[in-house]
Amino acid sequence: MNNDREAILKRVGEAVGGLADRTPYPSFRNDLGVSTARSLDGDLWEIFCERFVAVNGMPVETPDAMVEYLKTFGYTHGYCDPALRESLAPFFDSGFTLEESFDRQDIDRYQFGITRAHAAIAETGSVVVTDRLTSSRLAALAPWVHIACITRDEIIRDTVAAVADLGDDPNVVWITGPSKTADVEGILIEGVHGPGIQICLLL
Amino acid sequence: MKSQPIDTYASELAEDVRRAVADGSASGYDRRAASLFSDFEDPDFLRRTAGDVKQHTLENLDTYLAQTEDRLKENGVEVHWAGDAEAACRAVLKIMRDNGATKVVKSKSMATEEIHLNDFLEREGIESLETDLGEFIVQIDHDHPSHIVKPIIHKNRQGIARSYEREGLGAYDDRPEVITARARKFLRKKYLEASVGLTGANFIVAESGRLVLVTNEGNSRFCLAGTDIHIAVVGIEKVIPRDRDLSLFLSLLGRSATGQQLTVYTEFISGPRAEGQPDGPRQMHVILLDNRRTEVLASNCRDILRCIRCGACLNVCPIYRQASGHAYRSVYPGPVGAVLSPLLAGEKFSELADLPKASSLCGACKEVCPVNIPIPDLLLRLRDKAKHEGIKSPGTPPMGGWAYLASQPTVWRASLSAGRLMNLMPLNLIPVPALRAWTKSRQLPEWRGGAFRKWMKTRKIGGKDS
Amino acid sequence: MIAVDRDPSPGKKVQLMATCLCDSFFDDVAVATVEVLEYLKCEVTFPEEQTCCGQPAFNAGDWKSSRKVVRHCVKTFAGDEPVVVPSGSCAAMVFHGALLEFEEESDLPEVRQLAGRTWEIADFIVNGLRVAEWPGKFPAKAAFHRSCHTRETNSGAATRTLLESIDGLELVPFGEGEQCCGFGGTFSVTFPNISAAMGKLKLGNALKENPEYLVSGDMGCLLHLGGIATREGKTIKTRHVVQILRDSLRNGGLIP
Repeated sequence: MNNDREAILKRVGEAVGGLADRTPYPSFRNDLGVSTARSLDGDLWEIFCERFVAVNGMPVETPDAMVEYLKTFGYTHGYCDPALRESLAPFFDSGFTLEESFDRQDIDRYQFGITRAHAAIAETGSVVVTDRLTSSRLAALAPWVHIACITRDEIIRDTVAAVADLGDDPNVVWITGPSKTADVEGILIEGVHGPGIQICLLL
Repeated sequence: MKSQPIDTYASELAEDVRRAVADGSASGYDRRAASLFSDFEDPDFLRRTAGDVKQHTLENLDTYLAQTEDRLKENGVEVHWAGDAEAACRAVLKIMRDNGATKVVKSKSMATEEIHLNDFLEREGIESLETDLGEFIVQIDHDHPSHIVKPIIHKNRQGIARSYEREGLGAYDDRPEVITARARKFLRKKYLEASVGLTGANFIVAESGRLVLVTNEGNSRFCLAGTDIHIAVVGIEKVIPRDRDLSLFLSLLGRSATGQQLTVYTEFISGPRAEGQPDGPRQMHVILLDNRRTEVLASNCRDILRCIRCGACLNVCPIYRQASGHAYRSVYPGPVGAVLSPLLAGEKFSELADLPKASSLCGACKEVCPVNIPIPDLLLRLRDKAKHEGIKSPGTPPMGGWAYLASQPTVWRASLSAGRLMNLMPLNLIPVPALRAWTKSRQLPEWRGGAFRKWMKTRKIGGKDS
Repeated sequence: MIAVDRDPSPGKKVQLMATCLCDSFFDDVAVATVEVLEYLKCEVTFPEEQTCCGQPAFNAGDWKSSRKVVRHCVKTFAGDEPVVVPSGSCAAMVFHGALLEFEEESDLPEVRQLAGRTWEIADFIVNGLRVAEWPGKFPAKAAFHRSCHTRETNSGAATRTLLESIDGLELVPFGEGEQCCGFGGTFSVTFPNISAAMGKLKLGNALKENPEYLVSGDMGCLLHLGGIATREGKTIKTRHVVQILRDSLRNGGLIP
């Protein structure tokens, strides 16, 4: 393997060593990739909501509304991040079962998973989950409904700011809507491996 | 006259497959084009800039690869180097054996298609399962993907439902939502049984050692939530210099591939799971793969290594739409494949030297390429290379005689007027060289060689003879 | 795509590159080019020694043969006057293709000099002579096929500008406009099945809108599409852009 390392680096060196003019790193604005077609001025939560809905996400403004939604569709058994338990538990009635650990032996037991999100991106309608703040990768992925919780001041304007915010967390995921595929005849189906319903709850 | 393999393949393609491929590639064109061309005032500047970033990286790859390796190591990632497919496969196997692992779940990766990792692991008694829905269906059919981002563009739901039935995944039901739900049910326990999650990478950032993965289905996320060991097989051309480049590249990749501003799951991975996180790999390995990329880098076609595998060139290519991906007989089909596959074939270049011919050089691929790769120019360079190496190309008329005539004006003029009698015309002088192939489906207009010259000489300008 | 800088005010003394297709089949297109240029007060010369731009061999991968023809072309069109050509494809060969195959040749500067003053006709009219409105009239419905070699050049937009300004001419948009017609020079004979299938698609898309004319800036496309139409018994008149411009002048009584 070490031989391969030396050999590859040698070949790379030889391949580019003789180039007379190497292309310089171009100069460009950080936000070049941010669309100029739609404004990002205004209330970031409102902009986020509009974009999140556009990717079939479901923004929810109060815990009451979230509980009502879960109840309406019969999603009564779920996981809740222990750190959120205290603030959210009072909104659930006795018809619900909330677990504070996620049992990987029986992942289909959970109809929903409530976790903390690190941020949300207004430009793209994405929620950001991280290893340090999101209590369980599986709980945010395996149940049919994922509820990512953020606070208003955690909403980031655009992907440039979100990249700058990546920090040193070893695992950051931008989630832009429910899991989906169009592999079969180009027909859109949601809920492939991950959630079919992606909710963002404003704390 | 022997014909070109891709033309023959296209003419023999079953009509339902041709339809599926043509419709599947064409559909969404407007959405993809709109998401790139209406979202930005100067989308070409984005494409050129992204192209320059990648070209710059490639031309300084020695520096950036070394930096990448350093950062990965600092992040607690084990770095492996693989000169060829065999070495890469062996590196995966060794990691698995060292950890007593026997099962791997795979997220979609072109690099692992390229090194035929599944076949290798199966021969070594390891269960290697594709988890992307399309790739999963390809795998149960012992088929090959025919598109970079839509692997089963050539299949219809009826065929898939029959495959499911055969594999015991449920009684015949061809509703796409049922097909998807059954894969969901089957695969979710597999993620948890496997000890290794295997992925490729869309980008790897030199300054941070961040590996970036994009998917829509969430399967790569599941591979990295259910398993203990993460192995990423990454082509050395995937490096980009800085984190700041990501916003631009992600924006272009999603739009070009599927018309999305961002794909659903965009993952930034820079090491094993964080302390306190109960799920996800405790070990992370990156295998940096050469497999003749350095040969491409040394060639005058190095620009093709900018490719970010969005598939836009396939979707827009009229030849791909008629012939389908399998016509290209290689892992990378379509315009990008017509350049990359022969180059990656090494000493077997001649076997794929016909691929660069399979283009009308219409340039639709370059027009949509998010990293502005001059694909038609590269196709032409490879045609020149094939000619230099004396590789015969069926159907291509000999050009030596034509070049002689076209550089002898007197002979040219004489032939032009002689050509009024079609049957006296040297066929290779007619701009349409192989008459029979032409007239099979097209009428040729009346020959009027020299008529314009005569008019130009004898006309009157303003009442005077010219 | 244009890899060279061009003089933005090229002047009105021009050399005509008629193209080998017009030399062989479509003399009226070359005639129309002369008439249109002369209407615009250009002084047109036709270098008699001209043959072809070298593209067939270039595309076939026989660059050695192609360079031979390009060298002849450079010699034929010596001087400083703009070279105007009624073909996006031949123009692109001169200002892009030739540069590619001469990259490592010592006479690259001469090739570049020709490239720097070669114009596709619509581009020349709109961006060289700064004419943005076309007089006369042409009462008809037409479908305009933007030929592929005008991608990433100014020609497509220039052609639209001219055609859209003509009194009475209605341009009908049609489906999959960005797709190639399937001609591609030697491609049309080395890949006869795919080429014909592409042509039929293009023709079908255009005919759906019931145009009277199919218009393009490249006779290669029209040779191919017209050939398929004739063979399939479809009625559509094929015209080069410059023929429409000339006929518009005639219809308006601006030229005889």
